[in-house]
Amino acid sequence: MMNSTIQTNIARLQIMKAKVLAALRKGENYELKTELNSEYKERRKEAVRRVIANMTVGKDVSGLFTDVLKNMHTDDLEIKKLIYLYLINYAKTQPDLVILAINTFVKDAEDTNPLIRALAIRTMGCLHVEEVLDYLCDPLHKCLKDTNPYVRKTAVMCVAKVYDLSVDVAEDNGFVESVREALSDSNSMVVSNAVSALVEMNDMSPHHDVWRLDANTVGKLLTAINECIEWGQIAILETLVDYTPRDEKEAENICERLLPRLQHANGSVVLTTVRLLLKYEKHVHRADLLAQFSKKMVPPLITLLSSDPEIQYVALRNINIILQRHPKLLSKEIRVFFCRYNDPIYVKYEKLDVLVRICSERNTEPLLNELKEYAKEVDMDFVSRAVQAISRLAIRYETAAEKAIKVLLELLETRANHIVQSCMVALQDILRRYPRCFDSLVDGLCEYVDDVNEPEARAALIWILGEYSESVTNISNILTSFLESFLEEEDSGVQLALINAAVKFFLKSPQQGQTLVLKALQTATEKCANPDVRDRAYIYWRLLSADPNAARAVALAEKPAIELENVDLSPQLLEELVNELGCVSSVLQKPARLFVYSLAEKAGVPRDSGISAMGLDDADSVAAGAGDGAGSSSAGIDASNEGEPELLISF
Amino acid sequence: MTVDSLFILNTSGTSVIQKHWCDDVSIRRASLVVVPAFTKYLRSFAAMHDAEPVWSAPLDTVCIHIQRKELVYLGIVSQEIPPLEVLELLEGVDQALTEYIGLLSEVTIKENFTTVYQLLSEMVDSGCAVTTDTSVLRGLVPVPSLVNRVIENVSGIGIGTEKRPDVNTSSTPWRAQGIRHTNNEFFVDIVEKIDAIVNSNGSVVSYDVSGDIGCKSRLSGMPDLLLALNRPEVMDDVAFHPCVRINKWENEGVIGFVPPDGQFKLASFHVATDASPRILPIYVHATTTRQELARTIELSAEVGQCGGRPIEKVQVRVPLPSQAYNIRVQCKAGTYTVSNGRTSQVEWFMKTLKAGDRSSRLVIQYFVRQSAVTNAVAGNSSPQAVSSDQDMAQEAFVDFEVAGYSVSSIKVDSLKLMRESYKLFKGVRYITKAGSFQVRF
Repeated sequence: MMNSTIQTNIARLQIMKAKVLAALRKGENYELKTELNSEYKERRKEAVRRVIANMTVGKDVSGLFTDVLKNMHTDDLEIKKLIYLYLINYAKTQPDLVILAINTFVKDAEDTNPLIRALAIRTMGCLHVEEVLDYLCDPLHKCLKDTNPYVRKTAVMCVAKVYDLSVDVAEDNGFVESVREALSDSNSMVVSNAVSALVEMNDMSPHHDVWRLDANTVGKLLTAINECIEWGQIAILETLVDYTPRDEKEAENICERLLPRLQHANGSVVLTTVRLLLKYEKHVHRADLLAQFSKKMVPPLITLLSSDPEIQYVALRNINIILQRHPKLLSKEIRVFFCRYNDPIYVKYEKLDVLVRICSERNTEPLLNELKEYAKEVDMDFVSRAVQAISRLAIRYETAAEKAIKVLLELLETRANHIVQSCMVALQDILRRYPRCFDSLVDGLCEYVDDVNEPEARAALIWILGEYSESVTNISNILTSFLESFLEEEDSGVQLALINAAVKFFLKSPQQGQTLVLKALQTATEKCANPDVRDRAYIYWRLLSADPNAARAVALAEKPAIELENVDLSPQLLEELVNELGCVSSVLQKPARLFVYSLAEKAGVPRDSGISAMGLDDADSVAAGAGDGAGSSSAGIDASNEGEPELLISF
Repeated sequence: MTVDSLFILNTSGTSVIQKHWCDDVSIRRASLVVVPAFTKYLRSFAAMHDAEPVWSAPLDTVCIHIQRKELVYLGIVSQEIPPLEVLELLEGVDQALTEYIGLLSEVTIKENFTTVYQLLSEMVDSGCAVTTDTSVLRGLVPVPSLVNRVIENVSGIGIGTEKRPDVNTSSTPWRAQGIRHTNNEFFVDIVEKIDAIVNSNGSVVSYDVSGDIGCKSRLSGMPDLLLALNRPEVMDDVAFHPCVRINKWENEGVIGFVPPDGQFKLASFHVATDASPRILPIYVHATTTRQELARTIELSAEVGQCGGRPIEKVQVRVPLPSQAYNIRVQCKAGTYTVSNGRTSQVEWFMKTLKAGDRSSRLVIQYFVRQSAVTNAVAGNSSPQAVSSDQDMAQEAFVDFEVAGYSVSSIKVDSLKLMRESYKLFKGVRYITKAGSFQVRF
């Protein structure tokens, strides 16, 4: 009884609530309607503001269309702009009602105030409604010939919008031709807008034949560019990317006229100019000019690095590409790339990459000291990348190896968990690169047996122990203790490393190693669940029992020298990215056809599967092929191993 | 078309204001899929500012964003365009809004949304940036004044329409015709910033000086100015305001320009590395000691080379490791604060630091948690061998200002006025500041 009363009450309450809400909702629009028709100007003005405010937060105010339109005829520019904004938003859903506004538009397009003329013509274009086109043609003609450049530049942009709606209307009325003529306008803003409009129309047209750059136009644009504001300069510079100079003389001339653009405060102007220089310098052969271009490019690139971090990031990604074309370009500026503690992490990663790339044999020492500082920072990913950079330097320059090892040993002494793991892997790579050069340090590494708790680091240490078993005093004990936890080991990489180490130890000192190797092989073949590990153990066992000399030849074979992993892009991709320097593709480092939908369709690229096919070397997938610790560390990929039997690779 | 959509989001990723230059499908795609995905992406970072500014988003779009104070400015693009262009545009939007509205926040943006929309539609036309120059924008969109707003709201009488903005169409788009001032003044501020990393032994790891020439112009008519500097050759990368005639600078080494009215940045420059003798205006020393679980850092600050002038607004910030607790500070000069965020830090302030001040010292003492130490020695029997740097503060960040001193010794030689005949009052100031100034322990 009680329950049902409560339930009916709740139901009643809910109905009431819904009604009130509906009334409120209806109420607001109703109230706005009254206000919009108020006799007081200020109340109407405030009402328009509220309508737009509601529109922007997503409330439906389309029902007020006619009431809003009534206020359109006003001297108040702010209100006019707001109403135009309203129209742009709802025109597509109510194209018939838009016709009601046409009269005001046409009248505004002849207003004495150039701002209002421009506003009217811009808005009519933005409405994107075909019904408007017929009414737009006359005012657009007039505005294209307007005495005021602000109106002309707006009209020029409007032509592109007309073209988008109907190519025929734009062509037949001679609008496109007017835009081409606007390239010779006396005002630079009109010129740069004409360039933007032509590029846009060219992209839309089916045969891309709206305009073609010729030497004459290029000359005109290069003159206009000096007068342009930054955005106009960008528009012009970007069109020049598609131009191929006729001869060397012309290329030289263009480059020299571009050089002053490097001194612009806007990073985009600078980077687009660098892109153009890199493109045109292919046609230039005079060594003194080329040297001058390179010299002029450096300071602005460096200056980009003192901008906001977001701009730094884009600059660094691009510098990384530029350096693959001009490896020596920034070698004197290495200190600029030193990481700052408060750089965002994405800037730090890019700087590390650039640092290793531009480091020459001469300045390895200061860089190694610097990397040591980074390795003490808090961010673990950054630390492991810094340590990796140390080993990359050592692998690249033999003279740096000793200092690198000293730094790594100092870092090991901190015994901070994540540092120890990265350092061990790094040491393995260096020892593998310079076999028999640093035997004396191996014994000291045994101190860290209990500290290596990452599988990769453990496999690295075990590999070192196996390789240098003769230099370690109590090798037998250490390997035995590793062997005791063999079955608890979760990572098969460590298990494989341990079997390999045991076999190497046995082959080098059969007396001491015999029990150990037997135990290792026995455990692996009888108790291990992983078939790879079992198979490896079987192979060794048979090899050892059938022919110890063959086993020696296999297990203790001279290993191919490891090289620095291939961090460069493939030449084909590099060429593509240099051409697109400064664009999204050069920042994401994948070609545009992989992420721009329309391009992808054209190129017939299967979505999402294209990346590896495009020649982006995926280091991990190559590394996964090699089982042994030396092969699977990220710095130790050796391409020459491909196609050889697996057992050989694995040592 | 460059940008499809522009969003201003608050830090939790909700849209405060949005504007689109694309078709309906793309608008829906942007607001229903891309922005939520982007918000999720931002949240996946422990510190939001670590999110990469260019992110390949779902549905073949790319999200380009900057973070400024409480707001995230996001541009969505779906074409192969230069991201720097979008970044510069977003930066320009932020600057223009700041100049129009003042302190930016979700609330102030919503309060002034009519102004924001007007600005956006002047700054971007069909997705292409048109202008970000506030002196141009001021001619197109009226600056909202609080007074206007209050009078309108209270009395219901509009005064906003009286002064109709006018377009400037001269060959100097940054300067309107017919400007009049009763006093003709021109001020130049040369502000130089030192970026440096100093090692524990006092050696300078990296050192870089860059500067800005800021101007404030209150001149009538169409003045043409010629600014000469004493050592233009040490400026190895100069970026100018569009008003500067670059050819004149290239050929004669002087800066010729018709200035915009009001405040503007005339040039920014970088001092050639081989021309700057690595002068440090301030020395900060630190000695660190450890005793069992206690860690002590003794900091001292001293005036370096700065032309004998006092150093002002000195601030030394020391981030402490996450294991630090029970932080105690002894301060012999100035004041300090200890803040406890995700990690703690100590900040030390001194209004002025004069040459010969011996007493400017600060001692920080804290303890590290037992567990942190035992973790570091896990498995090691001898705790004495621990020399982990992880629980010791690593560096200090120093901020300071020296008025009347130019570290690069760049000075204004002369400032000449042409084309106008009135008398001009000139003022030049030099300031040297810390940029990113880091001292390692």
